[in-house]
Amino acid sequence: MKFWNRLRLRARRRRGESELVDEIRLHREMLAEEFVREGMSREQAARAAARQFGNSGASEDESRDEWAFPRFDAIWKDVVFALRLMWRQPLVTVAAVLTVAFGVGANTAVLSVLETVLLNPLGMPHTADVTVARVHVEKIKMWHAPDSAVEFAEIHEMREAFSAVAAIEGRQWTYDTGGQATRLLGRAVTPEFFRVFGVSPVLGRFLNQEDRNSVVLSYTMWQSQFGGDRGVLDRTLVLDGTPHQVVGVAPKNFRFPPDAAAWSPLILSPERLKQRGYNMDLVVVARLRDGLTFRQAQSRIARYNAALWNGPDGKDLKDSGYGVDLDRFPEYLAGDLQAPLWLLSAAALVVLLTGCANVAGLLLTRSASRRREIAIRLAVGATRWQIVRQLMLESLLLGAFGGLAGLALAKLAVLLVARMPIPGKDVLALAALDGRMLAYGIGIALASGLIFGIVPAVQLLRDGQSAAMVRSRRRWFQDVFVSAEVCGAFVLVVMTGLLLRSLWNVEQVQLGFDAHRITTAYFTNPKNDATFHERLVSALANASGVESAALAYPVPFTTGGLTSGFVIRNREHRPDEPEWHGEAYFVTPGYLHTLRIPLLRGRNLAESDGANAPTVCLIDRKLAEKFFLNQDPIGHEIGMYKGWAQIVGVVANVRADGAEEETRPVVYYSLAQIPYFNQAAAVVRSSVPAGSLIRDIVRQTNASAPVFDVATMEERIGESMGLRRVLASLLVAFGGIALLLAAIGIYGVIAQVVAEQTREVGVRMALGARGGQIRTMFMRQGLYSGGMGLLAGIMATVLVQKWVSTLLYQVRALDGKTLAVALGAIGGVLIAAVWLPSRRAAKIDPQLALRHE
Amino acid sequence: MGTTNQEFLKGTLDMLILKTLSRGPNHGYGIALHIRRLSQEAFKVGEGSLYPALQRLLVNGWVRAEWGITETGRKARVYQITAAGRKQLAEEVRNFDFLLANIARVMEGA
Repeated sequence: MKFWNRLRLRARRRRGESELVDEIRLHREMLAEEFVREGMSREQAARAAARQFGNSGASEDESRDEWAFPRFDAIWKDVVFALRLMWRQPLVTVAAVLTVAFGVGANTAVLSVLETVLLNPLGMPHTADVTVARVHVEKIKMWHAPDSAVEFAEIHEMREAFSAVAAIEGRQWTYDTGGQATRLLGRAVTPEFFRVFGVSPVLGRFLNQEDRNSVVLSYTMWQSQFGGDRGVLDRTLVLDGTPHQVVGVAPKNFRFPPDAAAWSPLILSPERLKQRGYNMDLVVVARLRDGLTFRQAQSRIARYNAALWNGPDGKDLKDSGYGVDLDRFPEYLAGDLQAPLWLLSAAALVVLLTGCANVAGLLLTRSASRRREIAIRLAVGATRWQIVRQLMLESLLLGAFGGLAGLALAKLAVLLVARMPIPGKDVLALAALDGRMLAYGIGIALASGLIFGIVPAVQLLRDGQSAAMVRSRRRWFQDVFVSAEVCGAFVLVVMTGLLLRSLWNVEQVQLGFDAHRITTAYFTNPKNDATFHERLVSALANASGVESAALAYPVPFTTGGLTSGFVIRNREHRPDEPEWHGEAYFVTPGYLHTLRIPLLRGRNLAESDGANAPTVCLIDRKLAEKFFLNQDPIGHEIGMYKGWAQIVGVVANVRADGAEEETRPVVYYSLAQIPYFNQAAAVVRSSVPAGSLIRDIVRQTNASAPVFDVATMEERIGESMGLRRVLASLLVAFGGIALLLAAIGIYGVIAQVVAEQTREVGVRMALGARGGQIRTMFMRQGLYSGGMGLLAGIMATVLVQKWVSTLLYQVRALDGKTLAVALGAIGGVLIAAVWLPSRRAAKIDPQLALRHE
Repeated sequence: MGTTNQEFLKGTLDMLILKTLSRGPNHGYGIALHIRRLSQEAFKVGEGSLYPALQRLLVNGWVRAEWGITETGRKARVYQITAAGRKQLAEEVRNFDFLLANIARVMEGA
């Protein structure tokens, strides 16, 4: 009430003031008239009225004060003053604002990605208690592998640890939209799936035990395909030719897995539930029972692993190092993004702290030159608190402006990250700046404002104390400042260097095939069309502009070959040998020629290696060297898919899983002989990118075959290095900014020291010191603290190196060359930043210096 | 003069203004005149201090102000007590009575 009245009065202040003046004048006139009536002269009356009324100016002032907000007004005055000051030194202001903006922008952007991926995965609620169980087989270095049905069934029984357990299996359906075959991605899930995530349907129900051909739609699918129609529950969806009843719609914030458009029931056959280690393509998710900690659940799984080894098949499982790991859901989701993200957030923090230190240095310099102004203000009665308030306000304002600019930068950066095509990282597309992130950005901006404001403020408050003390303290601050900046920049530059070298190494890897002008596209095999592949290959090969064409499953740089154990006829597997594992590709005869993979021995696959001919295969050189060292592998038989296959040729090694993957031995089968898969891909070498050509020809050959995942081979290779490239370029940006900031900061500090000691230098020179000596004096101070920073940086690098080693490729974390280059770069910058102001000190004219101030 | 004393006077002045206005709307000069007469000129604080007090009462919502015409035909700001103002007046009078009674008791005891 009082507040509003005051505000109202204040709002109409102009009018209020003139009313007040009128009112007071009227009062005095009436008083004067009264005195005149009592018989005074006009002048006497006026004097008497003035006496009786008292000081009318004071009365006006006091009246005005009644509507004022005294504290607010004072702060407002400070704000205006600070703004005027900032305006008067635009260079300092812009430098400070930009510095804060970089720090805030980098941190906010990285945090919002971190949030989407790790802290609050996919923006889904209730995921804190969700865990994921995955298999590892130590002997073949297989980690985080999907589970077979047996693990699911056994974990499902652990009711004391998990309140809900579900298995998930990938599905891709061919779905008919208005006469056109489309591929629809979804998952088959066991009934407790949605309970694991603690969500309830927005429409209808979720799946239960009795469901067979039912389907739950994702919210996005419901909106895009059915326009959010509530009558969707009566509809059926024809998936792979089978009608599926729509029973429910998942809520909007349920996005797991991010690419799933629908969920259907997963029916596990009794046979499958007995075969451990077979059909390993299930993801098992489990919800912790209430009140159970993650650690407790992990120890339950550890007991389970021990029981496995002591069980009936224990010996085999123990020999191969078979077991189950339990991970938290966010870690599962983040996968190999985890380390890069933490690294980036650390880098962003270094940038922010370096920036803060710089702005603090800047303000310190300025406050030194403002000492006179502040002394005057103190002398005319300002309290120390008022001065500090004024200074803090200035830095807070700088922080706020920097924060706003930083948020704009962050917005831009997040947009870029969300668009980044990194395969398997579609989580990133969900990154966005929400309200909390904005609050965080402004928060750190203001916090940095406080941090860099407090240094000069404290300094000024100390000015009353003896000058010598102040000076020694300032030196202390400056030394720490130089050391910290050098240390931070060094660590960042080393990390950047290591990642750049890794990127370089990866890009140098020889892939073993020619990826230029190759276009690839997957398609789903149509039903009841035995000659589809033959017709498609010849149609593709005869199309204009096409040099050569082949079909393959899978395509290099997508999922990697199908991994399987194998046996060789007449060759015993020695017990001390690790199990034999290889990768299989299923190709048409034109594959080698199209990708220009050299045939080293024997013959290529041929058209005659059809469904009814004896099964044949090619092996790669790696397999040949490992298993047929001093003999000719041609004619031997290998068992991997569909019984024994005779080796008819040896081809060169190919990096097909990705440049960084050390490929396992590879076996190429004739696609026509192994009809196990419901999809394959066209691989076409042509003069121009052939994406739409492949689409057209597949449709002409059989309209019910949907085409998906079209990309040139170079795009696929680029995407597989996407994460590495993005990480390297972001670190280059962060490292560059940190280095630049450090250079500016150190230069500023030393220049400041020189300016402060101009008088002292003058005295020394007057007493006979030479320029060289003066220069050495300043350089020694700067280089000493910089050297300490380098030492600290080296120690920090040793500490954090373990952390980045997973991100490196053929570079050791403590790589001598990288360390040397970083040392050289930082050292050079340090020397330059110290030398420039030191040289200026050496040129000081003692005459001028002694008259200084 | 200490702060307490000033506050005490301020409070008293507020009470006197409210008391005056409780008899009917009046302008600044009228209020001053009334207080002067009632207190038999004992209250010779500068009449200027009336105006800050009036602003204070406005802010608290105890009085309302409107421009009107005086008996002599001049344009003046006329103040009027509000319901909240009456309540405040009653409260202050009660406090004042209580204070006086206590002072009296102490003085008698001495």
